[in-house]
Amino acid sequence: MPNEVQTRRPGEVTFNAVLLAFSLFMFWQAYLIVGFSSLSSAGAFPMAMTAIMSVTAAIALLRSARRRSPQGGVTLFRKEVLPPAVVVFSAFILGYSLLLQPLGFLLASFLFLVVSTWFLEAGRFRRAVLLSTISIVGVYVVFRLIFQVVLPEGLIPERGLASAIGNLLRGGN
Amino acid sequence: MPEALSYLFSSWLRPDLLALTAIGTFTGIYVGAIPGLSVTMAVSILISFTFSWDVNTALALMNGIYMGGVYGGSRMAILLNIPGTPAAIATALDGYPLAKKGEAGSAIGLSTVMSVLGGFVGIAVLAVAAPTVSEFAILFQPRDYMLLAIMGILLVGSLSGESLAKGVFAGALGLLLGTVGLDPMTAEQRFTFGSVQLMSGIAPIALMIGLFGVSEALLQLHNIHAEAIKQKVGRIVPSLADVRKYLSLSLQTSGIGALIGALPGTGGDIAALIAYDHAKRVTKNPEVPFGEGAKEGIVGAETANNAAVAGAYIPMLTLGIPGDAVTAIIIGALFIHGLNPGPLLMIEKPDIFWFTVGNLVLANVFLLIFGLTGIKIFTRIVECPKSILFPLILLLSVVGAFSINNAITDVWWMLGFGVFGYLLKLYGYQIGPIVLGIILSRLMDGNWRRAIISEQDSIPAFLMGIVTSPLSLAFLLVILFALVSQMPWWKALRNRGAGPA
Repeated sequence: MPNEVQTRRPGEVTFNAVLLAFSLFMFWQAYLIVGFSSLSSAGAFPMAMTAIMSVTAAIALLRSARRRSPQGGVTLFRKEVLPPAVVVFSAFILGYSLLLQPLGFLLASFLFLVVSTWFLEAGRFRRAVLLSTISIVGVYVVFRLIFQVVLPEGLIPERGLASAIGNLLRGGN
Repeated sequence: MPEALSYLFSSWLRPDLLALTAIGTFTGIYVGAIPGLSVTMAVSILISFTFSWDVNTALALMNGIYMGGVYGGSRMAILLNIPGTPAAIATALDGYPLAKKGEAGSAIGLSTVMSVLGGFVGIAVLAVAAPTVSEFAILFQPRDYMLLAIMGILLVGSLSGESLAKGVFAGALGLLLGTVGLDPMTAEQRFTFGSVQLMSGIAPIALMIGLFGVSEALLQLHNIHAEAIKQKVGRIVPSLADVRKYLSLSLQTSGIGALIGALPGTGGDIAALIAYDHAKRVTKNPEVPFGEGAKEGIVGAETANNAAVAGAYIPMLTLGIPGDAVTAIIIGALFIHGLNPGPLLMIEKPDIFWFTVGNLVLANVFLLIFGLTGIKIFTRIVECPKSILFPLILLLSVVGAFSINNAITDVWWMLGFGVFGYLLKLYGYQIGPIVLGIILSRLMDGNWRRAIISEQDSIPAFLMGIVTSPLSLAFLLVILFALVSQMPWWKALRNRGAGPA
């Protein structure tokens, strides 16, 4: 069977090159732990692993460089590697993680769900709010009330709410 | 022994454990069935919420999800030709043709009963084999553990990916990530870059949530607007005659599944493919040819992948070496609960073992119940809007990572590895070996150093030790085989050997 020359994915050579550079950098860092002192030192295993990473990353890099480069340039890269949905969503998650502590779980999560669902539903705002409300209540009941996970409180006095619901349930019994 | 028996049934008698196992199994079926959700994703996200529980309640949930998830993948394989999990690839080969003939109901029913049967055989193998393996494991030398760990990572990396080099890279990366922090033997700092936070290492669960949860959700955004296709599903409870007809075959393929599951690094996906192949070879005159809706194909694949679930617990509970990615995550959870899976676990904590066996049986019973009922609700839930499903996964990933230590640092690690994992997958690297590597890092590093110290830092003596011990030699040969069989020149040689067809 002759070797099939396939087209590589856009950005593949760059990615493999970054992996190789990272592996080599980590090899150097592993060497800095104690150098080549002994086979049983703290640095021996990390050095072996980073060496393996460097060799395999180099093989992957060579193989990808030998393949035909993709036609389509930046447009293809944007379509296959970083489509708008992925970029936008990464930004949403980043924002959510940043707001989680200052705003608290309930508010930050609700905002995140509404905005991201709204985005995916392509503008159907009321449906997004409805779906988000149902989901946030579900998550809150399952994780906060049943599983008793401690979540960042933030602006809404949620701990009081949880214990009030707890008291209500206990009082009802 | 009577004590062991009481542990065996504790999850049957305690209402909370019973409920959690049921919830886990039910959730697992849906997680497995909805394309884009995976068992590894669900287990890695949910496990972070269970740290404050006691270990049995956490295990009950995980066992249920694992059992249910491996089975759930068959649903979409049959209905849409999209295997919900890799373990269901073989199921799609004959399940989908059956559905196209209007027999989706009977295919689902058969796959349910066969999954349960395979599950029971796997659990029986676990109950019988694990105590023996753990007694035998006391004879293992440090070098044997090291070789077993290499074997596990190599098998995960080489059997399921597009290239061996990328699989090995992923495994080594995982092993490296596991070394970050203070060295447990000499307290030297490794890759801490002067950061105090890095001294205690990177939380493995945060990495796993990123690699399995966020990266997969990001990948799924590529085809978020794909429309669901509907299939008509008829009666699903299969006839007893059908089950009896395939009983002999199903027992064989269950056995194959349990054995392959028990090998470190090989799980349900490989078990199902090999069992499918076996079914094809031993069925001389199938009523319908394989690939066009042969029920024997479904029997082979479905018995094997669920038998492999219990099989994968064998190396995890007896050697501390995960059988596949899911058991790697469960080991991560056991560590956090202060348990140390390995040969001593069976002696010091036999309750965990017998609890797991009894709990898996329970999960399997729930699998039968949920598998054969509620097909109407099933079709509704599976059609739930993706526009809320993926934001929810991401939300749970963030909250899950946060709740590991109530620290935002873990969220950053999780997100970083989510994006990194997304790129890795896009460029053909696998995630499985990374996770196995993270879990096995300490075991491999420690055993390597113990082994080489006992040989006074002499490589020749170390190699002699391997070659002269039958056990070590056997492990080494498997490793070499896994490596060589993936080499391009070996493949070329084999193709030439097979001759021009």
